[in-house]
Amino acid sequence: MALRAAVLRHVRVPIQTVPKLHPWLGGSLLRFMSSHDDHITKDEVIDRVLSVVKDFPKVDPSKVTPDVHFQKDLGLDSLDNVEIVMALEEEFKLEIPDKEADKIDSCHLAIEYISNHPMAS
Amino acid sequence: MASSRGPRLSGMQKQVLSLYRGFLRAARTKSPEERHKIESIVSEEFHRNSKEVDRKNFLYIEYLLRRGKKQLDQLRNPGTTGLSSLAVDLSKTNKINP
Repeated sequence: MALRAAVLRHVRVPIQTVPKLHPWLGGSLLRFMSSHDDHITKDEVIDRVLSVVKDFPKVDPSKVTPDVHFQKDLGLDSLDNVEIVMALEEEFKLEIPDKEADKIDSCHLAIEYISNHPMAS
Repeated sequence: MASSRGPRLSGMQKQVLSLYRGFLRAARTKSPEERHKIESIVSEEFHRNSKEVDRKNFLYIEYLLRRGKKQLDQLRNPGTTGLSSLAVDLSKTNKINP
């Protein structure tokens, strides 16, 4: 018994405090471990977001800037907005949940969301 | 913040957009050819209804939502390759649509 207690005392491992990670931060740690780490820079995100938006059939490419609002500045409706966000999902190999997707209504927000998303590639 | 510039979406609008997104997602699982067809039919249908249907006609919009959800369930079935069967359904109801 004494031996067991001694052993137990000896091998006791301090309780590890698991830090509560922000989901995206947690994701980026996982990504850090993954073999295919293809981190994209914000400039690259901006370029690719702009080119997706410019390629959208109803959009006049000359109007597209990083600050442009899809509906107010480009004359799109909320359905077109859905299509653009879906096209961005494919471009960056993401799945954006409805709740988030409904908020993305400008190039600015799309760029922010994607550049903060750990799985964007 | 840019987000504050956008119009607030009503619950019903969110449901419509979510349904639309569902169709586009389901279309991705089909062959490229079918996908293109599905996308153009669905896009046409949603855009047309968004122009023709009175925004305050909640009963009718709810009916369209229910019908759309059923069609989406059918489309999600891996056995359904395209919208051909659903398109018949669409054209039938279009006649009732004032």
